[in-house]
Amino acid sequence: MINYLLRKILYTILVLIGVVVVTFFIRPPGDPARVLLGQRADSASVEAMREQLGLDKPLPVQIGKYIINLVQGDLGRSIATNRSVTETILERVPATALLALTSIFIATVLGVLLGVTAAWKPNTWVDTLTLSTSLLGISLPAFVVGLLFVLFFGVVLEWFPNSGYIDRGIEYLVLPMVTLAIRPLAIIARITRASMLDVLGQDYVRTARAKGLSSRKVFLKHALRNALNPVVTTVSAWFAGLLAGTYFIEFIFNWPGIGLAAFNAIEKLDYPMIQGTVLFTAVVFVAVNTVADLVYGFIDPKVRLS
Amino acid sequence: MTSPTGESLSRLAWRRLRKNKGAVIGMIVLGIMIVMAIAAPFITPFDPSTQILEYSVKPAGFHGKVIYKKNLADPNVPSILAVSSYEEVGDSVFYRDPAGEPYRVARSTLVGTDPHEYYSEPLFLLGTDRFGRDLFTRLVYGMRVSLSVGLISESIALAIGIFLGALAGYYRGWADDVIMWMVNVVWSFPTILLVVAFSVILGKGYWQTFVAIGISSWVDIARIVRGQFFSIREQEYVEATRALGFGSMRTIFRHMLPNAAGPIIVLSTAGFATAIIAEASLSFIGLGVQPPTPSWGQMIKDGYGYIALGTNWGMTLFPSLSMAIGVLVLNVFGDGLRDALDPKTSQR
Repeated sequence: MINYLLRKILYTILVLIGVVVVTFFIRPPGDPARVLLGQRADSASVEAMREQLGLDKPLPVQIGKYIINLVQGDLGRSIATNRSVTETILERVPATALLALTSIFIATVLGVLLGVTAAWKPNTWVDTLTLSTSLLGISLPAFVVGLLFVLFFGVVLEWFPNSGYIDRGIEYLVLPMVTLAIRPLAIIARITRASMLDVLGQDYVRTARAKGLSSRKVFLKHALRNALNPVVTTVSAWFAGLLAGTYFIEFIFNWPGIGLAAFNAIEKLDYPMIQGTVLFTAVVFVAVNTVADLVYGFIDPKVRLS
Repeated sequence: MTSPTGESLSRLAWRRLRKNKGAVIGMIVLGIMIVMAIAAPFITPFDPSTQILEYSVKPAGFHGKVIYKKNLADPNVPSILAVSSYEEVGDSVFYRDPAGEPYRVARSTLVGTDPHEYYSEPLFLLGTDRFGRDLFTRLVYGMRVSLSVGLISESIALAIGIFLGALAGYYRGWADDVIMWMVNVVWSFPTILLVVAFSVILGKGYWQTFVAIGISSWVDIARIVRGQFFSIREQEYVEATRALGFGSMRTIFRHMLPNAAGPIIVLSTAGFATAIIAEASLSFIGLGVQPPTPSWGQMIKDGYGYIALGTNWGMTLFPSLSMAIGVLVLNVFGDGLRDALDPKTSQR
């Protein structure tokens, strides 16, 4: 077990190094100093800017310095605001976390419920409805769903406010949360259905039925528990997609999280800020997945050995 | 290889696919979209970048009145004057613009000599955008961008994914370790963020967008190919190629790859759809394909400002719907393809 744990953690560190190197290279093409100062800047000030950004050093030195700063929690300074990127991200974590966690919660609960209902009566209208709605959910990118929601629930029906943060009232959370939840919900529903049908076809379920248990009991106690394994994997994997989705959703709903900061940084090519937000998202994702893997290792010995 | 009934497997798959209603509808809609994209200049009334500023932000179904003027810079794309009325007097044409101001142009500067040629009352089927460009025209041209992104980006992803996946699955050992490390690094980024990151690195533009999406979406393909190769590698015919002294590359690409084709094809239809979404997302943030080339993402972003005003929803709704339909039919088609190619699904 210790062996498994160590191996897993070591490999994660190896992957994170790769992630950091990729992130380091996120910068506009050509000379970033020139891009930032504009074409009319004289060469002396461009040179000064290059020095300030550390671009005058050879590449390996730059990467080394980037990693050293990173280990100390320093992601550099935003070019647009000159504020520390780390600070900006940290103060925006709560807003994004609130949005992402409530969304994944809703998506998981409703998704499993829908998937189980569909598997309870496969090939009936409930099933068909679930499958086709979820196909629609998968086909629509989050930002399009967001805009359509703003249009119908915000502008036409005026049920919910269409932009703003939760500090103005809980109703401000509704549209961004639901928008963000749609895609993972659709996928979780499909996975749950498929997994449920798979488990229901297995011998031990037949045995449980044969020994006279009610089908509801077989369904909920014996089948559901085993069917949920792939669902857990899907949920943890989709958490990352959801974090990426916040980039668009936070912009559309003017939600002051990390995604909105990233969106604004991309428009201004503020690359330290872009690097910071992308890195943050990737690290959270790797962390979530590693923890999920470790938990499996504890629960399921088969995972440890493979 | 043949099935027990003596049919070739691809023929069997095709027969199954044809029986799947969803997949057939998907194929037909997809076919229509491809034809529309190719025939864009013939089925659209305007050039996608022609602006008629007097007609900015008009609702769907708007009828205009225009005079076509020769364009010295580009003889194929006439300039367009919006008018409320016109009258021919000798060598001149007197007209009033939509605000009622009178103007005069020489007839020789117009397209053709006869009112039938230079005057028309075109229908703006889906309305216009804020520069008075025809939305329908831009939608159809945007389809071109979306379909080419799907095609080209997915080809790039396939090339990288198949190559790396085949190497990892065939050679195993350290090659597999290194490639799987790369796969895991790329996988640590949500795809759309990686696309954004590569777009920042490569800069804005048409080709940059294709490449950014392509090099962000190869991991799933690499993983599938690797997995397939792990099992195919143990089969007797692969051993036979070795006994015959074939080179590794010949074995990999001529003999093993065709046997891994099924899952790769299924995965690439899904990838095609993802690429379309990725391009639209990029254009929505202002990266990606740049104006004046029309793209669905840009059109949605342009219309976004009008949603809150409660006017001209069409500017957002129509490109959103087109994208949703495109992605939906690709997904339905992909699902059908998966069922058709999967030997486990019962032969119905």
